[in-house]
Amino acid sequence: MEEKILICEDSLEGIFTAVYQVYAWKLDKDHVVFQIGEEGNLRLFAEYITVAPEVEKAEKVISTIIRKMGEEVYWDICCMLASRDPEKGQAVFRTIVTALKTGQGREVLSNVKEPYIQKAFELARNVNCEVHHLYGFLRFAELENGMLYAKIGPKNNVVTLLAPHFADRFPLENFVIHDVVRRIFVLHPAKKGCIVVTGREYDAFQLPGESEEEMYFQALFVEFCHTIAIKERENLTLQRNMLPLRFQEFMVEMGKK
Amino acid sequence: MEYKICEDKTIEEKLTILTDAAKYDVACTSSGVERSNGKAGMGNAVKAGICHSFSSDGRCISLLKILFTNECIYDCKYCLNRRSNDIVRASFTPDEVCTLTMEFYRRNYIEGLFLSSGILYNPTFTMELIYQTVYKLRTVHHFYGYIHVKAIPGAAPEVIQKTGFLVDRMSINLELPTAEGLNRLAPNKSRKTILAPMRQIQNGIAQNKNELVLYRNAPQFVSGGQSSQLIVGATAENDFQIMSVAEGLYQKFDLKRVFYSAYVQVNQDKDLPALPGGPPLLREHRLYQADFLMRYYGFRAGELLSEERPNFNVFLDPKADWAVRHLEQFPVEINRADYKMLLRVPGIGVKSARRIIQARKRTRLGFEELKKIGVVLKRALYFITCEGKMMYRTKLEEDYIVRNLTYVKEKLPFEVGSVRYEQLNLFDMASDPSIHYKQISQIDTKVLYG
Repeated sequence: MEEKILICEDSLEGIFTAVYQVYAWKLDKDHVVFQIGEEGNLRLFAEYITVAPEVEKAEKVISTIIRKMGEEVYWDICCMLASRDPEKGQAVFRTIVTALKTGQGREVLSNVKEPYIQKAFELARNVNCEVHHLYGFLRFAELENGMLYAKIGPKNNVVTLLAPHFADRFPLENFVIHDVVRRIFVLHPAKKGCIVVTGREYDAFQLPGESEEEMYFQALFVEFCHTIAIKERENLTLQRNMLPLRFQEFMVEMGKK
Repeated sequence: MEYKICEDKTIEEKLTILTDAAKYDVACTSSGVERSNGKAGMGNAVKAGICHSFSSDGRCISLLKILFTNECIYDCKYCLNRRSNDIVRASFTPDEVCTLTMEFYRRNYIEGLFLSSGILYNPTFTMELIYQTVYKLRTVHHFYGYIHVKAIPGAAPEVIQKTGFLVDRMSINLELPTAEGLNRLAPNKSRKTILAPMRQIQNGIAQNKNELVLYRNAPQFVSGGQSSQLIVGATAENDFQIMSVAEGLYQKFDLKRVFYSAYVQVNQDKDLPALPGGPPLLREHRLYQADFLMRYYGFRAGELLSEERPNFNVFLDPKADWAVRHLEQFPVEINRADYKMLLRVPGIGVKSARRIIQARKRTRLGFEELKKIGVVLKRALYFITCEGKMMYRTKLEEDYIVRNLTYVKEKLPFEVGSVRYEQLNLFDMASDPSIHYKQISQIDTKVLYG
């Protein structure tokens, strides 16, 4: 049977819309392949269908996932979709299909014999790990207008996964998290919800300089980090294992000593 | 309450002095409390805990760990801040601690505050200063992040009580495993003054749990539980004594955690050991491994060590060491064994044991699946079967397994120093396969610690 290749946008909406279409069009799920974005090599004997993201359809899929698999699996699926792995679309699609077909619901990720679910599990674990790292390693600096500003350069597209944690932690602060790799700002105005800024708005976005006090507190913290170490136990390898270099470049205390 | 402090130091100087004085305390965890915010003030708490940085010794920085003051009326021989040491003294004011905490927290440098203190004037006075600081943080600055404070032994119970309602964790350091060691090295402290507030906090937590059942909005008392710390290697206690004390603290005082701190030689004193090989890091590591076995793996101290074998094996981690001495309980069939037994297999941790139980509900597991689940097969393979088959042809024999397990280099968080390596070479197992494991395990651990 001819394979159908669904080309979807690299976003939550894009992939969930494609999932919706598979069911709406009653496609044979074993012969559907999810592909994110255009690919160089076209395959013979395969039909390519481009699916444009539609928020309404995506939301229907989201509510089904939450109802049938629970909030936790939904969070894991969001993590999978934030991964930089190009096969994430197919992994998520197979996971959802299996969960719905078998009625395994929230236990679907413990299927160790299904390779795509294994893959999905790996992706979720990997992204979750980066999110948890950044909960700790992200550094805010205070700007002249009192706003807090953090720069990150994550492997995966985690900035929207990070924002809810910081919004809960700093409800009264205006803060911005900036993914310099993907060129995304997430803004949190005090007491309000988060806003994602990309594309042309991103280019137009301007930030003031750092506040006068900022240098002072950075210096205090750097001093704290140096003093807290026990000389007799110095272990730079362990430090680097626990705090990978790719995070260090964004952290005040890891700069010049 | 007013007290005299030398106002001639800047906040930077104080931070340096009082961080330096606090660094030997180990507990820097922020786990165990889940508190959402989302509306007011600043801060929340995350159950898993969050590490914000790692210092050059590889230890996690999670909390702003400082002393309120390094003035001290006591003269504990192992402590840098002992009265008789001629060092620079400094004290914070509650407002300074609040500013540092809030500004560091806002920038996501820290998960909260860990406030300890030397004894200024007397224990109650000191505890009152700690109370005032956390009271300000919670009520004036509306700080809802994690707070861990030391309860000062000998302080009035009322002050400890009211502090407990403001903080997430309280701890009292037991310092030394035996009363005798304590008398010798910390002549101003006694077992009784340490254990009394520990009991008070334990009872406070238990009573608070009942109140919370009745009134959901009752204020919480030390909701993250209490912890303690033992110094390892400053006195002559063996590992078995230390583990037994820790077990006692878990069982009789419901402690959340016991921390072990390899003694670092900060003072010269005739009652203190010389440690030419540096702090006993491997020993500390083994104690933490065993501590995890007691808290999460259902082991008792008496299973891991005994009067006859009072110290941990330096070559094998405590779990592997237990397994090779209990081969009659192996091999374990992965598709049938209960959770408790799975946990006892070297190479299977809490997460992989749970995943095995989940996964085998709908399929028979083989070695390929175990690998995906995260089981460390090169350690587990001697102890398990899948569908009745072992992974390779192996012998269920103590010497054989020990030899193979020690070939697989154990992942230690530090390097074993070169001096100590040479001593190990005396018993080089690779070149002499006839050497017996039993002999090795009898080598006094002191050899390794210099």
